[in-house]
Amino acid sequence: MLEIKPIFNSLLRSKAGALMLLVQIALTTMIVSNASSIIFDRMEYLSQATGYPEAEIFSFSVMSFDKNLDLTQKFEETETMLRNIPGVKNAALFNAVPVSGSGSATGLGLQPASEGGQDARSAYYMADENALDTLGISLVEGRNIRPDEVIESQTREILPKIVLITKTLADELFPAGDALGQTIYFGDKPLEVIGITAKMMGPWLKDSRPDNVAIIPFVSASIFQKIIVRTEANQRTAIMRQIENLMLEDHNKRVITGLQGMDDEKQNYNAADTLMLRMLIVLIVLLLSVTALGIFGLTVFNINKRTKQIGTRRALGARKSSIISYFLVENVIICLTGTALGSISAILLGQGLLDLYSVPALNSLYIISTVLFIITISILSVLIPANKAANISPSIATRSI
Amino acid sequence: MLVHYIDLSWRSLKRTPLVSFLMILAIAVGIGITMTSLSVYHMMSMDPIPQKSSQLFTLQLNTTDDGTTLWTEDNMPMQLTYKDAMRLHTAETPARKTASMRSGFTVHMNNQELKPFLSEARLTGRDFFPMFDRDFVFGSAWTLEQEQSSSPVVVINEELNDRLFGGENSVGKQVYLDDTAFRVVGVMKQWDIYTKYYDLNNGAFNSPEPMFIPITLVAPMQIASWGNNNGWKYEGISTFEGQLKSETFWLQFWVELSTAAQVRDYRAYLQAYLEEQGKLGRYTRAVPKFNIQNVNEWMEYNNVVSEDNKILVGLSFLFLAVCLANILGLLLGKFLTRAPEIGVRRALGASKRQIFLQHLVEVSLLGFLGGVLGIVVAQLGLWGIRSTSNDYNALATMDVNMLLAAPTIAISACIIAGLYPAWLVCRTQPAIYLKTQ
Repeated sequence: MLEIKPIFNSLLRSKAGALMLLVQIALTTMIVSNASSIIFDRMEYLSQATGYPEAEIFSFSVMSFDKNLDLTQKFEETETMLRNIPGVKNAALFNAVPVSGSGSATGLGLQPASEGGQDARSAYYMADENALDTLGISLVEGRNIRPDEVIESQTREILPKIVLITKTLADELFPAGDALGQTIYFGDKPLEVIGITAKMMGPWLKDSRPDNVAIIPFVSASIFQKIIVRTEANQRTAIMRQIENLMLEDHNKRVITGLQGMDDEKQNYNAADTLMLRMLIVLIVLLLSVTALGIFGLTVFNINKRTKQIGTRRALGARKSSIISYFLVENVIICLTGTALGSISAILLGQGLLDLYSVPALNSLYIISTVLFIITISILSVLIPANKAANISPSIATRSI
Repeated sequence: MLVHYIDLSWRSLKRTPLVSFLMILAIAVGIGITMTSLSVYHMMSMDPIPQKSSQLFTLQLNTTDDGTTLWTEDNMPMQLTYKDAMRLHTAETPARKTASMRSGFTVHMNNQELKPFLSEARLTGRDFFPMFDRDFVFGSAWTLEQEQSSSPVVVINEELNDRLFGGENSVGKQVYLDDTAFRVVGVMKQWDIYTKYYDLNNGAFNSPEPMFIPITLVAPMQIASWGNNNGWKYEGISTFEGQLKSETFWLQFWVELSTAAQVRDYRAYLQAYLEEQGKLGRYTRAVPKFNIQNVNEWMEYNNVVSEDNKILVGLSFLFLAVCLANILGLLLGKFLTRAPEIGVRRALGASKRQIFLQHLVEVSLLGFLGGVLGIVVAQLGLWGIRSTSNDYNALATMDVNMLLAAPTIAISACIIAGLYPAWLVCRTQPAIYLKTQ
């Protein structure tokens, strides 16, 4: 009924055009399935939760160049000043800013570092008892830091005795789930785990352990000091605008830099991935349009070439629907062969990319959906010219011979 | 004849405007996408100092214990310790060489007029300037004596000189870095490079630092690095003095070696140095290991061109292939419908060769138009990249090479696609078509 054999035979008579379409469809399948696999991987990465109320938080750095200044005392006052700004929920000194791409990490061990033994890679924030509230992170277990447990010092000779760690880090160090109350080692210094926090990201979203984080109650006001502020979400912009003036009024021998909301910070860190995502989307949209246009154009040509044959067939009694189905079937034959070849090359390309680069393994789901999508597109782009062909009047066949 | 063929091609394009437009559009889009990713790739991978890139070398010394795992592929540290860097910096080796490190200061003039601002600074030796071909607008680099006595002297770039001194000759004038008064000894010509190849630690595409001060100031002024500090063993460092003596990696080192003999000698020197350090018991390592790589090798080692970019370039060329297959199909159809006309021309005496050439001229014209339109598409694409990320402002541009490459690639691609259809059409048998007319 579908007349596959005569269609196939006629395809063999004009091989080149059909072959080009086939190559085009195969390449398209190969590119689109691999590109969409990368796209979905990046989308997942970019939309991951950081754990923080990003729209409420901003951070900046203070460079102090007054040598005679007692930094510890001055920053005490600065913190109080910041917390008293209307709309500010909390503010604290930090050694590093979350998701900014710069910070400190270490191996937190079950034994002192000098004895070796098992440790877990972890980022650490050094801040006071306001850290959790400033970051908007909740405790899952245990208690928060008490003010009297915070060490304020300009050297690292005396370190605190306690630490807060994230759930992920706790589970890595103590798989049995009994992290609370245990001792872990920061270098050779023992720290007791007094609280376990909800998930939060460290400074590097691309770290091998992005959400292994420890909060150590240690404040060492430094010449280059980072400060994090949490505000009411709707007042953040207004507060950020006045922060430089307020900070300079507080003390004038300092420079304020890197004032940025946490969402922007994250966007900066991920700029390259956003770019890759957009470029790939543009690439596959254009690719699919070019392929669709190619199918369209080729069908139009075939029809023009066969106007007489179509007229003759119609004169001999073929229905309009059989003319349409002829072109549809012809196209589907090419398309199925093309996508089959394309699927194989997609797997090969995926394998090649995987060997060379850090891309996700190509899931066959992407190939299947790409194939279905391309078949749909190709049927749609053949329908319009095929309809036109079906309307060729039988009289054409008799007229010009 | 060529003009005639071009005229014929133009007429032929006008005869089937829709198909011609589709073909030109397909080439333009294919070329546009390819040139967008290729331009960024080209800018990223371009040799930043072609006249000297094979003479400038950076060092990696493995001063870790055997069995230490670092984060690099070949397990070599990316930077040097302070003690090694300074020892090599002051060594009596004949070549130009310099330890170097990134830091920064608050810059002010100790008055009310200029609001203090933060600026990056590079700590280097005086050899840095001739090594990297830096010219001066005013003054010069600091002297060897100033370097050895850790004098507070500074070389600033033109931009900073404009900001601080209104672009005047500022040699001899004072500027404050934090609370130390520095004397300007030179104003360096603006340094516009795409890749900060001499220090790839913190973003390969950052701009060079606007200030340069002697590396010998690190110890007396206790200047911390604004770059990476990588420790590999627990040393319990609590003071700056401890940091200087530690095994932490935090400085870069460059050496200029012009001949193969110099490279050989320097390698021998490094080998001896590492053996000596091993004997002193600094680390446990059976065989000393070090790397010495020139500018381009170093950029390759640091993966300056990101994986993403390589993938994009590959995918865009595949995209171009799709566009070509597309055009080839359309050309086949277009040329073959013209067979009757060709039959007549053949009968009137046109040779196969002439028909073939005429069609190749036609596809070249297509390629040229597509290539030119492709440049427009590529500019759109590059504009899109620049507006997504500021980091790409200098990178997402087309230089002259790329502008010329666009139509060249387009025309060659079209000729490749046009060969088969042109060959088919030139074999037209005149007799058949003369009969049916």
